[in-house]
Amino acid sequence: MSASWKQLSLQILLLLVSCRHINTKTPGPTAPPLIPIDQLPTDVRSVALNGESHTEKVELLNPVNLTLECTWTGNQDKLANITGLWRKDGEEVKNSNQTVPMENDQYNLKRVFSIVNEEDLGSYTCEFGSKAKIDFVLAAPQIGDVRDKPIVSYLGDFVVITCKMEETKPEPSTWYWYKANGTDKEQIIAAEEPLRYEIKNEERNTKLVVSSLVEADAGLYFCGAVYAISTSMSQVELKVISFYEPLKPFVAIVIAVIVLVAIILLYEKSQSKKNSTAAENGTTDQTNTLTQGETNGHGESSSMRQRKV
Amino acid sequence: MSPAPADELDHKPLDGGWGWMVVVAAHISIGFAYSTPKVLSIFYKEIQDNLGASSSEIAWISSIMLAAMYAGGPVSGMLVTRFGSRPIVMAGGLMCGVSMVTATFGNSMVYLYLCIGIIGGCGLSLNLNTSLTIIGKYFLVKRPLANGLVMAGSPVFTVFLAPLNQYLLNRYGWRGSFLIFGGLMLNCCVAGALMRPVIVRCKTSNCAPQKNVEDKPNESNTKLKESCMKSAMSFFDWTFFKDRGFVIYLVGSILFIFGAYAPILFLSAYAIDQGIDEFSAANLLTIMALVDMFVRPATGLIASSKWVRPRIQYFFSLAVVFTGTVHLLCPMISIKSYSYTFLVTYTVFFGIGFGMVFALIFECLMDLMGKERFPSAFGLVTMIECIPLLLGPPVAGNTLNMHYPFKHMTESY
Repeated sequence: MSASWKQLSLQILLLLVSCRHINTKTPGPTAPPLIPIDQLPTDVRSVALNGESHTEKVELLNPVNLTLECTWTGNQDKLANITGLWRKDGEEVKNSNQTVPMENDQYNLKRVFSIVNEEDLGSYTCEFGSKAKIDFVLAAPQIGDVRDKPIVSYLGDFVVITCKMEETKPEPSTWYWYKANGTDKEQIIAAEEPLRYEIKNEERNTKLVVSSLVEADAGLYFCGAVYAISTSMSQVELKVISFYEPLKPFVAIVIAVIVLVAIILLYEKSQSKKNSTAAENGTTDQTNTLTQGETNGHGESSSMRQRKV
Repeated sequence: MSPAPADELDHKPLDGGWGWMVVVAAHISIGFAYSTPKVLSIFYKEIQDNLGASSSEIAWISSIMLAAMYAGGPVSGMLVTRFGSRPIVMAGGLMCGVSMVTATFGNSMVYLYLCIGIIGGCGLSLNLNTSLTIIGKYFLVKRPLANGLVMAGSPVFTVFLAPLNQYLLNRYGWRGSFLIFGGLMLNCCVAGALMRPVIVRCKTSNCAPQKNVEDKPNESNTKLKESCMKSAMSFFDWTFFKDRGFVIYLVGSILFIFGAYAPILFLSAYAIDQGIDEFSAANLLTIMALVDMFVRPATGLIASSKWVRPRIQYFFSLAVVFTGTVHLLCPMISIKSYSYTFLVTYTVFFGIGFGMVFALIFECLMDLMGKERFPSAFGLVTMIECIPLLLGPPVAGNTLNMHYPFKHMTESY
């Protein structure tokens, strides 16, 4: 078969493969544009390894023909030839097993991968025998600022859930919001329920306002930062509670305060009654306390400050 | 210094007995007063997200609260002189509780400024003045110790309320937390109930001999109280400025307050700047509070001793100089790279200095002015202190922006 036929069949195959993927994936953003492979931009990532293993993070925004290059200086064995292998997510890439000769005191492995959609992202590993490997982790920019604690809000109240992409990372083209429905994600379209949902998108952050909360609104919410290559997700948990929940401890505290104040004031009253009845019976008690107070005052005056206060 | 009216009022403070219960009550009251503006900041991020406020808008809540707390000084001084401590602290506690409960239903920043800032701040100002005044009435010999224990309320409550607020926030969100926090502030009413009024005896000719100090006031007592109060209230505000000691104290405390809070605000940012991770940087403030907690009563104890008490003003000056020296030395002993240990040491010494100053700051004012003039003097001092308190941190922030790095700011302090 001529080269052009090969190319065409490859393109058709790719088309079919991407169509299949669109149908079986959970509903997401619009399908990536089907650019023919040879018109994709190219990029190169190379890593030189000195030790036994290394992991390299690669951030991708758009579909690209990515050349991954691995260089290994070898170990003390210094074999003339070594088996080289590529893996994607642990599974061997077909036809990637090859014999790598030592050139200029190092081994080289190079391969071009077409990264077109989310399925193509992941972990690509080049292996030198079973001695050394380099991992390339391909991913869209991840949302770093993840809130790990749930947001707590009240029935009938409104809540604002935010997602932010850091300044150091590239801007997403848009943001989408999803609500977890069992194991699936359902996209929230604000236009359908304008009274309940409102989505405010700015370049780097997005806000989802959920009003008139009901118990069914509780659960996981996902914000998706959309890039040409894929969508990065981040999740936030929302809890909806009724107002009676904080009211119970509040009422308990108020009752405790009232009881304590009553006890203190009653105790004081009973003390003063006791003293007044004692006063009626005899004044000796009073003079005792008075003289005690006076002797204390005079006795300590030498250690006190001499200011006339 | 003019002879204080106390010559006419021959009241022998208890210096013990029920006085210690009053110390507990004042501890609670002061604890809430100083720690509330600080620990409320834990809720700010959540409120910011919910109500869509900017960082500076939300910071105004604490600023307004502090301003109201300090500016309300003269009014609370007047009320304390007129009504005594107990009803005022109970009213203050009620106001604070109401302010937080109403803030629960807030949907705008202005509403929060009003509820928490103004009403809450006024409630706290009532607490502040009265708690210290009543200590002056119950203690004389052991007063520095009592003051130290009372002022220790601030770091104690900060250390306990901060994690509690975090827990409440995670459990109930910010609205529920405000509600429960309002309930907690009602405990100031309990503190108020403990502050038994002290009946003043007069030894002038028209005074009838008094019964036991803890007697309930009856008609003749109130008449006597009024005549004694008149002499106290005749010292209205402006004559204080004729008192040289007062003026020196005022100038000194203005200068101190101007710089005092800036290091606290910027301490964790400074640590992060030096490469410490966020969690350890936050721990620095906790360390400072813990040190502060123990230093304040210890300072009170030292100040109560026979040798220091007569020279307490010098001890206070020493504390201020010590604090300033610690801040000056921090950038000067600049090792090539600041290690965490160095920062912890600096924080510990800072905590010691800060605790010493604040344990003594009001004891010295009481010492200068006497317990009768103290409420009005304290009110005047806090009202004037309002200005450096609000100006200090922003000015420090500007100095920071102009003269990077941090060490220049500590030097200017």
